[in-house]
Amino acid sequence: MSGLVAATSRYRLWFFAAALLLCAAAIKPAQDRVDAGLARSPSIDPDLLYFASPGAVKSLSLGYQSLVADLYWIRAVQYYGRREEAARRQVRYKNLAALLDITTTLDPEMMDVYRAGSSFLAEPEPIGAGQPEEALKLLDKGIAFYPDEWRLCFDKGFVYFLAFKDFNQAGRVWLEASRMKSAPPWMEGLAAMALSRGGAVETARALWERQYQNSASREVKENAKNHLLSMQVDEMLWTIEFLAGKYAEKHGRYPARLDELVHAGYLKAVPADPSGVPFDYDPHSGKAGLSAGTKVRYLKVPYDYREAFRQKLASLFPR
Amino acid sequence: MKWGPGGMGHRGSDVPMRILAIARNTFRENIRDKILYNLILFALIMILSSIALGQLTLGLESKMIIDLGLTSVSVFGTLIAIFIGISLVYKEMEKRTVYALLAKPVHRWEFIVGKYLGLLFTLLVNLAIMTIGIALTLLYQGGTEPGTYVRLLPVVYLIYLSLALTTALALVFSTFSTPALSALFTLFLWIIGHFNADLLQFATLTRSATIGWVAKSLYYVLPNFSNFTTLDSRNIIQGAAHALPMDAGVILWITAYGLLYCGGLVAVAILVFSRRDFK
Repeated sequence: MSGLVAATSRYRLWFFAAALLLCAAAIKPAQDRVDAGLARSPSIDPDLLYFASPGAVKSLSLGYQSLVADLYWIRAVQYYGRREEAARRQVRYKNLAALLDITTTLDPEMMDVYRAGSSFLAEPEPIGAGQPEEALKLLDKGIAFYPDEWRLCFDKGFVYFLAFKDFNQAGRVWLEASRMKSAPPWMEGLAAMALSRGGAVETARALWERQYQNSASREVKENAKNHLLSMQVDEMLWTIEFLAGKYAEKHGRYPARLDELVHAGYLKAVPADPSGVPFDYDPHSGKAGLSAGTKVRYLKVPYDYREAFRQKLASLFPR
Repeated sequence: MKWGPGGMGHRGSDVPMRILAIARNTFRENIRDKILYNLILFALIMILSSIALGQLTLGLESKMIIDLGLTSVSVFGTLIAIFIGISLVYKEMEKRTVYALLAKPVHRWEFIVGKYLGLLFTLLVNLAIMTIGIALTLLYQGGTEPGTYVRLLPVVYLIYLSLALTTALALVFSTFSTPALSALFTLFLWIIGHFNADLLQFATLTRSATIGWVAKSLYYVLPNFSNFTTLDSRNIIQGAAHALPMDAGVILWITAYGLLYCGGLVAVAILVFSRRDFK
C-alpha cells in the first residue's frame, strides 16, 4: 500500500515538474504576443509620461524622492539614448525637458543633471533635442540653486555661444562667471573672446590685458599675450592696407615698398610686427602680412571688426 | 486594571530582567521566522546595482548606490515593522501562549514593552547589517570620499527612529485588532504621516476657524513621518547622497519627538492590553 502511495506521489511530482516547465516555456511567447499587440495599437504613446508634474511626483514619493530622482534621471538618459526610436517620433525628445525638470525638482542638488541634461537639450538634432531654450531654463534652475557655481554659468554661456550664436550674451554670462570665487583664471579670457567676437572689442582687449597682468598661471598669461599681440597685428595690417589705398588714390598705384609710405609722410617709420620683424608686403595688392620669420604667435581671431576699424581710420585720415 | 497574576508581589529589581527575557525571546522568534532573509534580497539589490548602474546611467553611480541602499533599508525596515509588529501580540493571543506567559510572574506592561524592544532589536540588527552592506558596495565602487560613510550614520539613525514609530503603531493595533486590519491601519497612518505638513498648510488656508483648529490638532495628533525624512527642508537620503552636513540640534529634537510619540503609543498599547479579558 505504501509503495502505491509513494509511486502516486512520485507521478504527481513529475506531473507538476512538467507543468512548471510547460508554463515557464509558454510565458515568453505569450508575453511577446502581448507586446506585439501593444506595438500595433495606435493609442499607446511611446512618449507617455506618467506624471508630468514635478510637485506631484515629489509628494507621492513618500520620502524616497532621492531614489525617485535617480529613476527619472536613468529614464532621461535611456530616453535620450534611444536614438533609433527617437528618429521615428514626430517630435524627438518631446519629454526630455520634462524628465529633467522632474529629476531636478526631486533632487535639486544633482549637478550632473543640469550639466549633462542641458547639453542633451541644447545640441542640435539629430545629436540632441535641439531645444536650447529648454537648456537655458534647466541651467537657470541650477544657477538659482547653486548661485556660486561657475560651471553652470560656463555651460549657459556655451548654449548662447553655440546654439544661439549670441556671442555678446555668452560673453556677458562668462564674464559674470569669471567674477565668482571658484572660477578658473581662464574664464575671463573666454569671456573676452566671446565679447570681442560679438563686437565688444575694447571690453575684450581690457579683459585680456587684465588677465595678462593679474594671472598667476604662465599658460593663461601667454594665451592672453598672444591674443593681445594678434589683435595688434591685425590692426597694424589693416592700417597698412588703408594707407596703401590712400597712397594709390593719390599716385595711381600702390607703393612699391613700405618705406614709400614713410617718405610720403603717411608713416613715421617702416612698420614691423610686435616682435620687431618687418611685415611682408605685396605691391600689387597693397596688402601686408606677417613674415615667416616672425616671433609673434598669431592666433586667428575668430571675429572681424575690420570695417569698424577702417571707419575709425577714415575719420583720422580725412580726404 | 487587570495586571498579571501575582503582579503585586513582584520584585522591582527583576523588571529589567523580565523585559529583557521577553525581548530576547521575541528576537529569537523573529530569527526563527526567517526575518533576516530580507538581507539576501538586499544583498542582491546592492550587488546588481553596483554592476548595472554603470550601464544604465551617466555619472552619479555613488549617489545612486546610497539612494538605493538607504531606501532599501527604510522600505525593508518599514515592511518588517508593519508585518511583524501587527502580529507581535495578536499571535500570542491566537496561539494562546499569552496565557502561559501571563501565568508566570510577568506584568502585562512588561510583556508589551519586552515585545516592542525585541522587535526594535531585530530591526537594529537588520539595519546594522544593511548599512555595512551599503558601505561595502561603495567601497567596491570606489571614488567615494571617506566623509560620505560617516554621513550615512545620522540618516540610518533617523530611519531607525521612524521604524520605531511604525512598530509602535503596529503594536497598538496588534493589541485589539486582527493582523489584516492592523496592517491596513498602520499603513494608512504611515502614508498620512508623510502628508502631515499639508494639514498644517490647510489649517492656515481655510477660512473656517473650526476646520482650521481640527486640521491643526490632527497635525499634532497624527504621527509626522516627514520629520524623519526631511531635515532643513532637504530629504535626508538626498543629504547623505550628496555628503551634506546635518544639523545635530534638529536631530536631537527629532529624537525627542520620536521617543515621546513612541512612549505614548506603547502606553496606549499597554492600556488596551491591560484591559483585555483573557478567558
